[in-house]
Amino acid sequence: MSSSAGLKTDGYCDIMRKDVLNHTENYSEHDTEEIMSRIFIVEDDRSIREELAELLRNSGYEAEYLTDFSNSKADILAARPDLILMDINIPNLNGEQLLKEIRRESDIPVIMVTSRTSETDEVLSMSYGADDYITKPYNPTILLLRISAVLKRSSGITAVQTYNGLQVNDAKGSLTDGNHEMTLTKNEMIIFRFMLDRRGAIVTRDELMTALWDNDEFVNDNALTVNISRLRSKLAELGCEAAIETRKKQGYILR
Amino acid sequence: MKFSGYVKDRIWFYVISCISFGLILLFLEAFRVSVQLVGAISVIFILFVLFEEVFGYFRKKRFYEELEENLELLDKKYLIHEMLEEPSFIEGRLTYEALCDANKSMCENVNVYKRRSEEFRDFIEMWVHEVKLPVASLQLMAHNHRDELGDKFLEQLSRIDGYTDQVLYYARSENPEKDYIIKETSLKRAVSNAALKNREAIQVCGASVETSGLDVNVMTDSKWLEFMLGQFIANSLKYISPGREPVISISAEENDDKVLLHFRDNGIGISEGDLPRIFDKSFTGENGRSYVRSTGMGLYIVKNLCDRLEHSITAVSERGSYTELIIGFAKNNYYKM
Repeated sequence: MSSSAGLKTDGYCDIMRKDVLNHTENYSEHDTEEIMSRIFIVEDDRSIREELAELLRNSGYEAEYLTDFSNSKADILAARPDLILMDINIPNLNGEQLLKEIRRESDIPVIMVTSRTSETDEVLSMSYGADDYITKPYNPTILLLRISAVLKRSSGITAVQTYNGLQVNDAKGSLTDGNHEMTLTKNEMIIFRFMLDRRGAIVTRDELMTALWDNDEFVNDNALTVNISRLRSKLAELGCEAAIETRKKQGYILR
Repeated sequence: MKFSGYVKDRIWFYVISCISFGLILLFLEAFRVSVQLVGAISVIFILFVLFEEVFGYFRKKRFYEELEENLELLDKKYLIHEMLEEPSFIEGRLTYEALCDANKSMCENVNVYKRRSEEFRDFIEMWVHEVKLPVASLQLMAHNHRDELGDKFLEQLSRIDGYTDQVLYYARSENPEKDYIIKETSLKRAVSNAALKNREAIQVCGASVETSGLDVNVMTDSKWLEFMLGQFIANSLKYISPGREPVISISAEENDDKVLLHFRDNGIGISEGDLPRIFDKSFTGENGRSYVRSTGMGLYIVKNLCDRLEHSITAVSERGSYTELIIGFAKNNYYKM
Protein backbone atom coordinates (compact mmCIF):
# COMPACT_ATOMS: atom_id res chain seq x y z
CA MET A 1 0.00 0.00 0.00
CA SER A 2 1.72 3.09 -1.09
CA SER A 3 0.86 6.37 0.41
CA SER A 4 1.72 9.97 0.19
CA ALA A 5 -0.87 10.88 2.75
CA GLY A 6 1.82 12.12 5.07
CA LEU A 7 2.73 14.86 2.68
CA LYS A 8 -0.74 16.11 2.38
CA THR A 9 -2.15 15.80 5.82
CA ASP A 10 0.35 16.15 8.55
CA GLY A 11 2.76 18.63 9.90
CA TYR A 12 5.81 17.75 7.90
CA CYS A 13 4.76 20.11 5.18
CA ASP A 14 6.77 22.89 6.73
CA ILE A 15 9.97 20.91 6.62
CA MET A 16 9.19 19.91 3.10
CA ARG A 17 8.49 23.41 1.85
CA LYS A 18 11.73 24.61 3.31
CA ASP A 19 13.46 21.84 1.41
CA VAL A 20 11.79 22.86 -1.76
CA LEU A 21 12.83 26.47 -1.32
CA ASN A 22 16.46 25.65 -0.62
CA HIS A 23 16.41 23.29 -3.45
CA THR A 24 15.12 25.81 -5.89
CA GLU A 25 17.97 28.12 -5.00
CA ASN A 26 20.63 25.44 -5.29
CA TYR A 27 19.44 23.83 -8.43
CA SER A 28 17.66 26.58 -10.29
CA GLU A 29 20.17 26.34 -13.10
CA HIS A 30 18.91 22.85 -13.86
CA ASP A 31 16.54 22.62 -16.72
CA THR A 32 14.71 19.33 -16.49
CA GLU A 33 13.87 19.39 -20.18
CA GLU A 34 17.48 19.00 -21.14
CA ILE A 35 19.27 17.41 -18.23
CA MET A 36 18.09 13.99 -17.19
CA SER A 37 17.35 13.77 -13.50
CA ARG A 38 19.78 11.49 -11.72
CA ILE A 39 18.22 9.04 -9.31
CA PHE A 40 20.25 7.17 -6.75
CA ILE A 41 19.05 3.77 -5.54
CA VAL A 42 19.97 2.59 -2.05
CA GLU A 43 18.75 -0.99 -1.98
CA ASP A 44 20.55 -4.14 -0.87
CA ASP A 45 18.49 -6.61 -2.88
CA ARG A 46 20.49 -7.02 -6.08
CA SER A 47 17.61 -8.12 -8.26
CA ILE A 48 15.38 -5.25 -7.18
CA ARG A 49 18.00 -2.57 -7.66
CA GLU A 50 18.90 -3.80 -11.11
CA GLU A 51 15.28 -4.01 -12.23
CA LEU A 52 14.60 -0.66 -10.65
CA ALA A 53 17.53 0.90 -12.48
CA GLU A 54 16.24 -0.57 -15.74
CA LEU A 55 12.76 0.79 -15.06
CA LEU A 56 14.13 4.26 -14.35
CA ARG A 57 16.39 4.25 -17.41
CA ASN A 58 13.48 3.16 -19.59
CA SER A 59 11.53 6.07 -18.18
CA GLY A 60 14.15 8.63 -19.07
CA TYR A 61 16.08 8.97 -15.84
CA GLU A 62 19.71 8.41 -15.09
CA ALA A 63 20.01 5.68 -12.47
CA GLU A 64 22.86 4.74 -10.17
CA TYR A 65 23.01 2.39 -7.25
CA LEU A 66 25.16 1.45 -4.31
CA THR A 67 26.72 -1.99 -4.17
CA ASP A 68 28.93 -1.46 -1.15
CA PHE A 69 27.22 -0.12 1.93
CA SER A 70 30.28 0.46 4.09
CA ASN A 71 30.38 4.16 3.36
CA SER A 72 26.86 4.86 2.17
CA LYS A 73 26.50 8.49 3.13
CA ALA A 74 29.71 9.73 1.53
CA ASP A 75 29.08 7.69 -1.64
CA ILE A 76 25.56 9.02 -2.01
CA LEU A 77 26.50 12.63 -1.44
CA ALA A 78 29.46 12.32 -3.81
CA ALA A 79 27.13 11.21 -6.60
CA ARG A 80 25.11 14.43 -6.22
CA PRO A 81 21.81 12.84 -7.25
CA ASP A 82 18.57 14.73 -7.83
CA LEU A 83 16.59 12.17 -5.89
CA ILE A 84 17.32 9.18 -3.65
CA LEU A 85 15.22 6.02 -3.47
CA MET A 86 16.07 4.45 -0.15
CA ASP A 87 15.22 1.17 1.52
CA ILE A 88 14.98 1.00 5.31
CA ASN A 89 16.58 -2.44 5.71
CA ILE A 90 20.07 -1.86 4.41
CA PRO A 91 23.35 -3.13 5.79
CA ASN A 92 25.33 -1.07 8.30
CA LEU A 93 23.32 2.00 9.11
CA ASN A 94 19.61 1.45 8.62
CA GLY A 95 17.76 3.63 6.14
CA GLU A 96 16.17 5.87 8.74
CA GLN A 97 19.51 6.62 10.37
CA LEU A 98 21.10 7.17 6.98
CA LEU A 99 18.32 9.56 6.04
CA LYS A 100 18.89 11.49 9.25
CA GLU A 101 22.61 11.72 8.48
CA ILE A 102 21.98 12.86 4.91
CA ARG A 103 19.49 15.48 6.08
CA ARG A 104 22.18 17.06 8.23
CA GLU A 105 24.11 17.94 5.12
CA SER A 106 21.74 18.00 2.21
CA ASP A 107 18.18 18.65 1.11
CA ILE A 108 18.21 16.12 -1.73
CA PRO A 109 14.66 14.74 -2.04
CA VAL A 110 14.39 11.23 -0.60
CA ILE A 111 11.66 8.68 -1.20
CA MET A 112 11.67 5.78 1.22
CA VAL A 113 10.87 2.57 -0.63
CA THR A 114 10.53 -0.27 1.78
CA SER A 115 8.78 -3.55 2.49
CA ARG A 116 7.89 -2.49 6.00
CA THR A 117 4.18 -1.84 6.04
CA SER A 118 3.77 0.05 9.23
CA GLU A 119 2.58 3.45 10.21
CA THR A 120 5.43 3.74 12.71
CA ASP A 121 8.09 3.45 10.04
CA GLU A 122 6.28 5.89 7.81
CA VAL A 123 5.84 8.48 10.54
CA LEU A 124 9.45 8.08 11.60
CA SER A 125 10.76 8.40 8.04
CA MET A 126 8.68 11.47 7.35
CA SER A 127 9.83 13.09 10.58
CA TYR A 128 13.45 12.44 9.58
CA GLY A 129 12.73 14.39 6.42
CA ALA A 130 11.69 11.89 3.75
CA ASP A 131 9.62 13.39 0.95
CA ASP A 132 7.47 10.34 0.36
CA TYR A 133 7.08 6.78 1.58
CA ILE A 134 6.20 3.85 -0.67
CA THR A 135 5.82 0.22 0.33
CA LYS A 136 7.00 -2.78 -1.63
CA PRO A 137 5.73 -4.37 -3.71
CA TYR A 138 4.66 -1.27 -5.54
CA ASN A 139 3.03 -0.72 -8.84
CA PRO A 140 5.95 0.61 -10.96
CA THR A 141 3.68 3.18 -12.58
CA ILE A 142 2.76 4.58 -9.18
CA LEU A 143 6.42 4.71 -8.21
CA LEU A 144 7.19 6.70 -11.36
CA LEU A 145 4.28 9.04 -10.65
CA ARG A 146 5.56 9.68 -7.15
CA ILE A 147 9.12 10.22 -8.38
CA SER A 148 8.04 12.77 -10.94
CA ALA A 149 5.81 14.51 -8.38
CA VAL A 150 8.66 14.81 -5.89
CA LEU A 151 11.12 15.94 -8.56
CA LYS A 152 8.65 18.52 -9.80
CA ARG A 153 8.12 19.86 -6.30
CA SER A 154 11.81 20.06 -5.58
CA SER A 155 12.75 21.73 -8.85
CA GLY A 156 9.98 24.27 -8.32
CA ILE A 157 8.59 24.29 -11.85
CA THR A 158 5.73 26.75 -11.95
CA ALA A 159 2.26 25.58 -12.78
CA VAL A 160 2.01 27.44 -16.04
CA GLN A 161 3.51 25.67 -19.02
CA THR A 162 2.96 25.99 -22.65
CA TYR A 163 1.98 23.55 -25.35
CA ASN A 164 2.14 24.65 -28.98
CA GLY A 165 1.56 28.25 -27.94
CA LEU A 166 -1.24 27.31 -25.55
CA GLN A 167 -0.90 28.41 -21.94
CA VAL A 168 -1.66 25.65 -19.47
CA ASN A 169 -3.18 26.89 -16.25
CA ASP A 170 -3.34 24.13 -13.66
CA ALA A 171 -5.04 26.16 -10.97
CA LYS A 172 -7.92 27.16 -13.24
CA GLY A 173 -7.83 23.91 -15.15
CA SER A 174 -7.82 25.63 -18.50
CA LEU A 175 -5.93 26.07 -21.77
CA THR A 176 -5.73 29.41 -23.48
CA ASP A 177 -4.23 30.72 -26.70
CA GLY A 178 -4.57 34.35 -25.63
CA ASN A 179 -7.98 34.86 -27.22
CA HIS A 180 -9.94 31.78 -26.30
CA GLU A 181 -9.95 30.02 -22.99
CA MET A 182 -10.94 26.38 -22.97
CA THR A 183 -11.89 24.84 -19.64
CA LEU A 184 -10.93 21.21 -19.18
CA THR A 185 -12.67 18.86 -16.76
CA LYS A 186 -10.56 17.51 -13.90
CA ASN A 187 -10.08 14.19 -15.71
CA GLU A 188 -9.09 15.83 -18.98
CA MET A 189 -6.62 18.05 -17.14
CA ILE A 190 -5.02 15.07 -15.38
CA ILE A 191 -4.66 13.26 -18.69
CA PHE A 192 -3.33 16.30 -20.52
CA ARG A 193 -0.87 17.15 -17.75
CA PHE A 194 0.42 13.58 -17.67
CA MET A 195 0.92 13.49 -21.42
CA LEU A 196 2.48 16.94 -21.48
CA ASP A 197 5.10 15.87 -18.94
CA ARG A 198 5.94 12.94 -21.21
CA ARG A 199 5.52 14.76 -24.49
CA GLY A 200 6.73 12.78 -27.46
CA ALA A 201 6.85 9.48 -25.61
CA ILE A 202 4.27 6.72 -25.61
CA VAL A 203 1.89 6.94 -22.68
CA THR A 204 0.02 3.70 -21.99
CA ARG A 205 -3.62 3.52 -21.04
CA ASP A 206 -2.49 1.80 -17.88
CA GLU A 207 -0.37 4.78 -16.91
CA LEU A 208 -3.17 7.22 -17.61
CA MET A 209 -5.53 5.10 -15.59
CA THR A 210 -3.10 4.99 -12.68
CA ALA A 211 -2.67 8.75 -12.81
CA LEU A 212 -6.45 9.26 -12.77
CA TRP A 213 -7.05 6.81 -9.91
CA ASP A 214 -4.20 8.38 -7.98
CA ASN A 215 -6.23 11.60 -8.10
CA ASP A 216 -9.39 9.92 -6.79
CA GLU A 217 -10.97 9.69 -10.23
CA PHE A 218 -11.96 6.05 -10.38
CA VAL A 219 -12.81 5.95 -14.06
CA ASN A 220 -13.28 2.77 -16.04
CA ASP A 221 -11.99 1.82 -19.44
CA ASN A 222 -14.86 3.36 -21.41
CA ALA A 223 -14.71 6.61 -19.51
CA LEU A 224 -11.01 6.91 -20.29
CA THR A 225 -11.71 6.51 -24.01
CA VAL A 226 -14.45 9.13 -23.81
CA ASN A 227 -12.20 11.51 -21.87
CA ILE A 228 -9.42 11.18 -24.40
CA SER A 229 -11.69 11.81 -27.37
CA ARG A 230 -13.17 14.88 -25.63
CA LEU A 231 -9.68 16.15 -24.91
CA ARG A 232 -8.81 15.60 -28.56
CA SER A 233 -11.73 17.63 -29.82
CA LYS A 234 -11.06 20.41 -27.31
CA LEU A 235 -7.45 20.60 -28.49
CA ALA A 236 -8.67 20.61 -32.07
CA GLU A 237 -10.96 23.53 -31.30
CA LEU A 238 -7.91 25.45 -30.10
CA GLY A 239 -6.20 24.72 -33.38
CA CYS A 240 -4.13 21.67 -32.41
CA GLU A 241 -5.41 19.06 -34.83
CA ALA A 242 -4.15 15.51 -34.33
CA ALA A 243 -2.37 16.46 -31.14
CA ILE A 244 -2.91 13.06 -29.60
CA GLU A 245 -1.80 10.16 -31.73
CA THR A 246 -3.08 6.66 -31.00
CA ARG A 247 -0.64 3.78 -31.14
CA LYS A 248 -2.46 0.49 -31.48
CA LYS A 249 -2.03 -1.72 -28.42
CA GLN A 250 0.56 0.61 -26.96
CA GLY A 251 -1.04 3.86 -25.99
CA TYR A 252 -0.98 7.49 -26.97
CA ILE A 253 1.58 10.10 -27.90
CA LEU A 254 1.17 13.82 -27.45
CA ARG A 255 2.75 15.45 -30.47
CA MET B 1 -17.20 -23.63 55.46
CA LYS B 2 -20.08 -24.99 57.51
CA PHE B 3 -19.68 -25.93 61.16
CA SER B 4 -21.25 -29.37 60.54
CA GLY B 5 -18.71 -30.00 57.80
CA TYR B 6 -15.91 -28.97 60.12
CA VAL B 7 -17.21 -31.29 62.87
CA LYS B 8 -17.44 -34.18 60.44
CA ASP B 9 -13.89 -33.56 59.38
CA ARG B 10 -12.78 -33.68 63.05
CA ILE B 11 -14.44 -37.04 63.74
CA TRP B 12 -11.16 -38.78 64.71
CA PHE B 13 -10.42 -36.10 67.29
CA TYR B 14 -13.82 -36.78 68.90
CA VAL B 15 -13.28 -40.54 68.83
CA ILE B 16 -9.88 -40.17 70.53
CA SER B 17 -11.30 -37.62 72.97
CA CYS B 18 -14.13 -40.00 73.89
CA ILE B 19 -11.75 -42.91 74.37
CA SER B 20 -9.39 -40.89 76.55
CA PHE B 21 -12.34 -39.43 78.48
CA GLY B 22 -13.63 -42.98 79.06
CA LEU B 23 -10.15 -44.09 80.21
CA ILE B 24 -9.89 -41.10 82.58
CA LEU B 25 -13.30 -41.93 84.07
CA LEU B 26 -12.26 -45.57 84.40
CA PHE B 27 -9.06 -44.65 86.26
CA LEU B 28 -10.84 -42.12 88.44
CA GLU B 29 -13.38 -44.85 89.29
CA ALA B 30 -10.57 -47.32 90.06
CA PHE B 31 -8.97 -44.86 92.51
CA ARG B 32 -12.38 -44.15 94.05
CA VAL B 33 -12.12 -40.44 93.70
CA SER B 34 -14.96 -38.32 95.03
CA VAL B 35 -17.92 -37.61 92.71
CA GLN B 36 -17.30 -33.85 92.88
CA LEU B 37 -13.78 -34.26 91.49
CA VAL B 38 -15.09 -36.54 88.71
CA GLY B 39 -17.70 -33.86 87.92
CA ALA B 40 -15.10 -31.07 87.91
CA ILE B 41 -12.69 -33.00 85.71
CA SER B 42 -15.53 -33.89 83.29
CA VAL B 43 -16.65 -30.27 83.04
CA ILE B 44 -13.08 -29.04 82.47
CA PHE B 45 -12.49 -31.71 79.84
CA ILE B 46 -15.72 -31.03 77.98
CA LEU B 47 -15.20 -27.25 78.17
CA PHE B 48 -11.67 -27.73 76.82
CA VAL B 49 -12.91 -29.77 73.86
CA LEU B 50 -15.72 -27.30 73.12
CA PHE B 51 -13.44 -24.28 73.40
CA GLU B 52 -10.77 -25.92 71.24
CA GLU B 53 -13.31 -26.79 68.54
CA VAL B 54 -15.05 -23.40 68.43
CA PHE B 55 -11.78 -21.44 68.44
CA GLY B 56 -10.22 -23.72 65.84
CA TYR B 57 -13.32 -23.47 63.68
CA PHE B 58 -13.37 -19.71 63.66
CA ARG B 59 -9.65 -19.44 63.05
CA LYS B 60 -9.90 -21.54 59.91
CA LYS B 61 -13.32 -20.31 58.91
CA ARG B 62 -12.01 -16.80 58.22
CA PHE B 63 -9.30 -17.99 55.86
CA TYR B 64 -11.31 -20.59 53.99
CA GLU B 65 -14.37 -18.44 53.58
CA GLU B 66 -12.28 -15.62 52.23
CA LEU B 67 -10.76 -18.12 49.83
CA GLU B 68 -14.13 -19.39 48.63
CA GLU B 69 -15.67 -15.95 48.28
CA ASN B 70 -12.73 -14.50 46.40
CA LEU B 71 -12.59 -17.49 44.10
CA GLU B 72 -16.15 -16.84 43.12
CA LEU B 73 -15.63 -13.12 42.55
CA LEU B 74 -12.37 -13.27 40.64
CA ASP B 75 -12.40 -13.65 36.89
CA LYS B 76 -8.69 -14.41 36.85
CA LYS B 77 -8.78 -17.13 39.48
CA TYR B 78 -5.06 -17.71 39.38
CA LEU B 79 -4.57 -14.39 41.16
CA ILE B 80 -6.35 -15.74 44.27
CA HIS B 81 -3.27 -15.65 46.49
CA GLU B 82 -3.03 -11.89 45.98
CA MET B 83 -6.43 -11.51 47.65
CA LEU B 84 -5.66 -13.52 50.80
CA GLU B 85 -3.97 -12.59 54.02
CA GLU B 86 -1.40 -15.10 55.15
CA PRO B 87 -3.24 -17.25 57.74
CA SER B 88 -1.96 -17.97 61.26
CA PHE B 89 -2.50 -21.74 61.29
CA ILE B 90 -0.19 -24.28 59.75
CA GLU B 91 -2.49 -25.92 57.19
CA GLY B 92 -3.61 -22.52 55.98
CA ARG B 93 -0.03 -21.35 55.65
CA LEU B 94 0.87 -24.47 53.68
CA THR B 95 -2.11 -23.95 51.38
CA TYR B 96 -1.24 -20.30 50.99
CA GLU B 97 2.36 -21.06 50.13
CA ALA B 98 1.30 -23.76 47.70
CA LEU B 99 -0.99 -21.29 45.95
CA CYS B 100 1.82 -18.76 45.65
CA ASP B 101 4.24 -21.35 44.31
CA ALA B 102 1.72 -22.72 41.84
CA ASN B 103 1.02 -19.24 40.54
CA LYS B 104 4.66 -18.40 40.18
CA SER B 105 5.34 -21.56 38.25
CA MET B 106 2.30 -20.97 36.06
CA CYS B 107 3.48 -17.45 35.26
CA GLU B 108 6.85 -18.81 34.25
CA ASN B 109 5.19 -21.40 32.09
CA VAL B 110 2.92 -18.83 30.47
CA ASN B 111 5.92 -16.63 29.83
CA VAL B 112 7.62 -19.43 27.95
CA TYR B 113 4.66 -19.65 25.60
CA LYS B 114 4.31 -15.91 25.39
CA ARG B 115 7.92 -15.63 24.35
CA ARG B 116 7.52 -18.42 21.85
CA SER B 117 4.47 -16.83 20.29
CA GLU B 118 6.21 -13.48 20.21
CA GLU B 119 9.18 -15.05 18.48
CA PHE B 120 6.88 -16.72 16.03
CA ARG B 121 5.09 -13.45 15.35
CA ASP B 122 8.39 -11.62 14.84
CA PHE B 123 9.47 -14.32 12.46
CA ILE B 124 6.21 -14.05 10.50
CA GLU B 125 6.56 -10.29 10.32
CA MET B 126 10.14 -10.62 9.11
CA TRP B 127 9.23 -13.36 6.69
CA VAL B 128 6.44 -11.29 5.17
CA HIS B 129 8.81 -8.39 4.65
CA GLU B 130 11.36 -10.73 3.10
CA VAL B 131 8.89 -12.38 0.78
CA LYS B 132 7.78 -8.99 -0.45
CA LEU B 133 11.24 -8.44 -1.93
CA PRO B 134 11.03 -11.17 -4.57
CA VAL B 135 7.43 -10.13 -5.23
CA ALA B 136 8.57 -6.53 -5.76
CA SER B 137 11.38 -7.74 -7.92
CA LEU B 138 9.04 -9.89 -10.04
CA GLN B 139 6.65 -7.00 -10.39
CA LEU B 140 9.43 -4.78 -11.72
CA MET B 141 10.53 -7.53 -14.10
CA ALA B 142 6.99 -7.93 -15.33
CA HIS B 143 6.82 -4.20 -15.96
CA ASN B 144 10.20 -4.06 -17.67
CA HIS B 145 9.40 -7.02 -19.88
CA ARG B 146 5.73 -6.43 -20.53
CA ASP B 147 5.74 -8.23 -23.83
CA GLU B 148 6.84 -11.58 -22.43
CA LEU B 149 5.10 -11.46 -19.07
CA GLY B 150 1.57 -10.25 -19.41
CA ASP B 151 -1.13 -8.97 -17.13
CA LYS B 152 -2.01 -12.49 -16.04
CA PHE B 153 1.41 -12.74 -14.49
CA LEU B 154 0.83 -9.51 -12.58
CA GLU B 155 -2.57 -10.73 -11.46
CA GLN B 156 -1.04 -13.83 -9.84
CA LEU B 157 1.63 -11.68 -8.21
CA SER B 158 -0.97 -9.46 -6.71
CA ARG B 159 -2.71 -12.56 -5.33
CA ILE B 160 0.51 -13.59 -3.60
CA ASP B 161 0.84 -10.09 -2.23
CA GLY B 162 -2.74 -10.17 -0.97
CA TYR B 163 -2.25 -13.46 0.85
CA THR B 164 0.99 -12.36 2.48
CA ASP B 165 -0.73 -9.19 3.66
CA GLN B 166 -3.41 -11.35 5.23
CA VAL B 167 -0.76 -13.29 7.15
CA LEU B 168 0.88 -10.08 8.29
CA TYR B 169 -2.32 -8.51 9.54
CA TYR B 170 -3.49 -11.75 11.12
CA ALA B 171 -0.27 -11.87 13.12
CA ARG B 172 -0.67 -8.22 14.01
CA SER B 173 -4.29 -8.52 15.01
CA GLU B 174 -3.56 -11.45 17.35
CA ASN B 175 -0.68 -9.70 18.98
CA PRO B 176 -1.58 -8.13 22.31
CA GLU B 177 1.07 -5.48 21.91
CA LYS B 178 0.21 -2.16 20.41
CA ASP B 179 1.87 -1.93 17.03
CA TYR B 180 -0.35 0.60 15.40
CA ILE B 181 -0.41 4.36 15.46
CA ILE B 182 -3.69 6.19 15.62
CA LYS B 183 -3.47 9.52 13.92
CA GLU B 184 -5.66 11.79 11.89
CA THR B 185 -6.13 10.08 8.54
CA SER B 186 -7.90 11.28 5.44
CA LEU B 187 -10.60 8.80 4.42
CA LYS B 188 -10.24 9.99 0.85
CA ARG B 189 -6.55 9.15 0.80
CA ALA B 190 -7.07 5.75 2.40
CA VAL B 191 -9.85 4.83 -0.03
CA SER B 192 -7.86 5.98 -3.02
CA ASN B 193 -4.77 4.05 -1.89
CA ALA B 194 -6.84 0.90 -1.43
CA ALA B 195 -8.56 1.39 -4.79
CA LEU B 196 -5.28 2.11 -6.55
CA LYS B 197 -3.73 -1.02 -5.12
CA ASN B 198 -6.62 -3.11 -6.40
CA ARG B 199 -7.16 -1.21 -9.63
CA GLU B 200 -6.28 -4.06 -11.99
CA ALA B 201 -8.54 -6.52 -10.20
CA ILE B 202 -11.41 -4.03 -10.13
CA GLN B 203 -11.06 -3.32 -13.83
CA VAL B 204 -10.73 -6.94 -14.84
CA CYS B 205 -14.11 -7.51 -13.18
CA GLY B 206 -15.54 -4.48 -14.96
CA ALA B 207 -16.56 -2.97 -11.66
CA SER B 208 -16.90 0.73 -11.10
CA VAL B 209 -16.10 2.62 -7.93
CA GLU B 210 -18.21 5.51 -6.71
CA THR B 211 -17.33 7.67 -3.76
CA SER B 212 -19.09 10.46 -1.97
CA GLY B 213 -18.53 12.61 1.08
CA LEU B 214 -15.09 11.23 1.82
CA ASP B 215 -13.57 14.61 2.70
CA VAL B 216 -13.47 13.61 6.33
CA ASN B 217 -10.56 12.89 8.60
CA VAL B 218 -10.81 10.08 11.12
CA MET B 219 -8.61 8.83 13.92
CA THR B 220 -7.18 5.52 12.79
CA ASP B 221 -4.08 3.71 11.58
CA SER B 222 -4.09 4.33 7.85
CA LYS B 223 -2.21 1.14 6.96
CA TRP B 224 -4.68 -1.00 8.84
CA LEU B 225 -7.63 0.84 7.33
CA GLU B 226 -6.25 0.41 3.83
CA PHE B 227 -5.83 -3.31 4.45
CA MET B 228 -9.44 -3.57 5.66
CA LEU B 229 -10.72 -1.70 2.61
CA GLY B 230 -8.65 -4.05 0.45
CA GLN B 231 -10.41 -7.02 2.06
CA PHE B 232 -13.81 -5.45 1.39
CA ILE B 233 -12.90 -4.82 -2.23
CA ALA B 234 -11.64 -8.38 -2.66
CA ASN B 235 -14.89 -9.74 -1.22
CA SER B 236 -17.04 -7.54 -3.42
CA LEU B 237 -15.15 -8.69 -6.50
CA LYS B 238 -15.49 -12.32 -5.42
CA TYR B 239 -19.24 -12.23 -5.02
CA ILE B 240 -20.38 -10.26 -8.03
CA SER B 241 -23.97 -10.70 -9.06
CA PRO B 242 -23.95 -12.05 -12.62
CA GLY B 243 -27.04 -10.10 -13.71
CA ARG B 244 -25.79 -6.55 -13.41
CA GLU B 245 -22.79 -4.29 -13.74
CA PRO B 246 -20.84 -4.39 -10.46
CA VAL B 247 -20.72 -1.12 -8.54
CA ILE B 248 -18.82 -0.43 -5.36
CA SER B 249 -19.93 2.68 -3.56
CA ILE B 250 -17.98 4.10 -0.68
CA SER B 251 -19.36 6.98 1.33
CA ALA B 252 -18.90 8.61 4.69
CA GLU B 253 -21.45 10.00 7.08
CA GLU B 254 -20.62 12.26 9.98
CA ASN B 255 -22.62 12.30 13.21
CA ASP B 256 -22.07 14.22 16.40
CA ASP B 257 -19.97 11.54 17.99
CA LYS B 258 -18.81 9.34 15.15
CA VAL B 259 -17.94 9.03 11.49
CA LEU B 260 -19.47 6.11 9.63
CA LEU B 261 -17.77 4.71 6.55
CA HIS B 262 -20.21 2.82 4.34
CA PHE B 263 -18.85 0.27 1.91
CA ARG B 264 -21.61 -1.04 -0.29
CA ASP B 265 -21.64 -3.34 -3.29
CA ASN B 266 -24.45 -4.67 -5.46
CA GLY B 267 -23.28 -8.27 -5.32
CA ILE B 268 -25.10 -11.46 -4.44
CA GLY B 269 -25.49 -10.47 -0.80
CA ILE B 270 -25.41 -12.68 2.28
CA SER B 271 -28.30 -14.81 3.49
CA GLU B 272 -29.95 -13.81 6.74
CA GLY B 273 -28.81 -16.96 8.49
CA ASP B 274 -25.15 -16.40 7.60
CA LEU B 275 -25.05 -12.68 8.32
CA PRO B 276 -24.48 -12.82 12.09
CA ARG B 277 -21.55 -15.18 11.64
CA ILE B 278 -19.55 -13.56 8.85
CA PHE B 279 -16.97 -12.16 11.30
CA ASP B 280 -16.37 -15.58 12.87
CA LYS B 281 -13.07 -17.30 12.32
CA SER B 282 -13.04 -19.72 9.39
CA PHE B 283 -16.71 -19.13 8.66
CA THR B 284 -17.39 -19.55 4.97
CA GLY B 285 -21.17 -19.74 4.76
CA GLU B 286 -23.30 -20.44 1.72
CA ASN B 287 -21.41 -18.02 -0.52
CA GLY B 288 -18.03 -19.43 0.41
CA ARG B 289 -19.21 -22.94 -0.33
CA SER B 290 -21.18 -22.49 -3.51
CA TYR B 291 -19.43 -19.69 -5.38
CA VAL B 292 -15.75 -19.05 -4.84
CA ARG B 293 -13.51 -20.89 -2.43
CA SER B 294 -13.24 -18.85 0.70
CA THR B 295 -10.89 -19.08 3.66
CA GLY B 296 -13.23 -17.35 6.05
CA MET B 297 -10.31 -15.35 7.41
CA GLY B 298 -10.65 -11.95 5.72
CA LEU B 299 -13.55 -10.53 7.69
CA TYR B 300 -12.39 -12.25 10.87
CA ILE B 301 -9.09 -10.38 10.65
CA VAL B 302 -10.93 -7.16 9.81
CA LYS B 303 -13.15 -7.57 12.86
CA ASN B 304 -10.10 -8.19 15.04
CA LEU B 305 -8.33 -5.12 13.69
CA CYS B 306 -11.44 -3.03 14.27
CA ASP B 307 -11.65 -4.28 17.85
CA ARG B 308 -8.02 -3.39 18.43
CA LEU B 309 -8.51 0.09 16.98
CA GLU B 310 -11.83 0.41 18.83
CA HIS B 311 -13.83 0.98 15.68
CA SER B 312 -17.25 -0.56 15.38
CA ILE B 313 -18.03 -2.79 12.43
CA THR B 314 -21.41 -3.98 11.25
CA ALA B 315 -22.81 -5.58 8.14
CA VAL B 316 -26.21 -5.34 6.49
CA SER B 317 -27.19 -7.30 3.47
CA GLU B 318 -30.07 -8.51 1.40
CA ARG B 319 -29.73 -11.74 -0.48
CA GLY B 320 -29.44 -11.07 -4.19
CA SER B 321 -29.21 -7.33 -3.97
CA TYR B 322 -26.45 -5.82 -1.85
CA THR B 323 -23.94 -6.11 0.98
CA GLU B 324 -22.96 -3.13 3.07
CA LEU B 325 -20.17 -2.98 5.63
CA ILE B 326 -20.04 -0.05 8.00
CA ILE B 327 -17.03 0.98 10.04
CA GLY B 328 -17.67 3.46 12.82
CA PHE B 329 -14.83 5.75 13.89
CA ALA B 330 -15.26 7.46 17.22
CA LYS B 331 -14.65 11.16 17.14
CA ASN B 332 -12.29 12.35 19.75
CA ASN B 333 -12.15 16.07 20.05
CA TYR B 334 -9.46 15.73 22.63
CA TYR B 335 -6.96 14.92 19.89
CA LYS B 336 -7.83 18.03 17.98
CA MET B 337 -7.07 20.48 20.73
